[in-house]
Amino acid sequence: MSRPRQSGSTTLWSLVLFTTLALFAVTLYLIFVVAPVEKQMGIVQKIFYFHVPSAYAMYLGFGASALGSAVYLIKRDAKWDALAVAGAEVGTLFCVIVLLTGPLWARKAWGVWWTWDPRLTTTLLAGMIFAAYLALRSMGDAGEVEKRFASGLALFGLIDLPLIHYSVQRWRGVHPTVITGKGGGLESEMYWALGLSFVAFTGLAALLIWTRASAERQREETARLRFELMHR
Amino acid sequence: MRALVSALVLLGTLLFVPAALAEDTPAGADTTTQAGETPAEERAAQFVGVTGPDAESVPGGTLLLAAYAIVWVLLFLFLVRMRRLQSQTAEELERLSAQIRESEGR
Repeated sequence: MSRPRQSGSTTLWSLVLFTTLALFAVTLYLIFVVAPVEKQMGIVQKIFYFHVPSAYAMYLGFGASALGSAVYLIKRDAKWDALAVAGAEVGTLFCVIVLLTGPLWARKAWGVWWTWDPRLTTTLLAGMIFAAYLALRSMGDAGEVEKRFASGLALFGLIDLPLIHYSVQRWRGVHPTVITGKGGGLESEMYWALGLSFVAFTGLAALLIWTRASAERQREETARLRFELMHR
Repeated sequence: MRALVSALVLLGTLLFVPAALAEDTPAGADTTTQAGETPAEERAAQFVGVTGPDAESVPGGTLLLAAYAIVWVLLFLFLVRMRRLQSQTAEELERLSAQIRESEGR
């Protein structure tokens, strides 16, 4: 794993890493020992404590990608492009987690692996948009045109994020709404497990984006050196 | 990351194809059994697919275990990929440094 060079950054990176690991340990204890089993769905409902924070981490990743892309289009600074690539990769990782853990829960709760519910459909759409972004960026060393086009694609993907979030309220699907206040809410132990899981996933997403962006900057620097050497 | 992209494309395909096939099923295809047959006779005469909650009961513990395993395995694969990317960059940097030293020594 690539770490930031400066010692201050390395210390902060290590601090975030150990805090995140500790938070995950406590979160798992709260999920499997403290939080009660849900009355109607049974033990499978505990997927919820990783599924929902994964969706939130997906927002963070795609949001970071869109932010990096927007600033890159304005400043043309490679470090923002590195943030865009890192955010897209991490967001896609969590999107795949959401799209795989969701059906496992749905199979028990709804009796089907998948249904074309508004939230599920818009999440799949976001995953496909950023998969297209990564496919574009994986075609060798991207030039300026490819980077700008990919930045536009990431900004297009950003439009889908509020659609995912508000689709349940707007088009009323079958997806649960216990957090948004339309459902019956959660018991206090469930709230604690979910809340801590959100914090742990925030730390994990930040670490992954930070580390991947750092690796991407080094890769870009290497590509620049190679280009200079070839044209000496 | 190519593996992740491939997984997403495969997932999309797996989701779209059954939906498309379901739409191709002729409307009015009757799956009801003839009256008066015992369950044993029905089983011998025809196979009828069930969907939804009437299908076999899936143990929740297995699904829960699978979900948490997926999270950890995907995170591990992502870290392995980052490690490989960094190793490739370090090797490339070493090769370029050697090239620079060689060109300066001439």
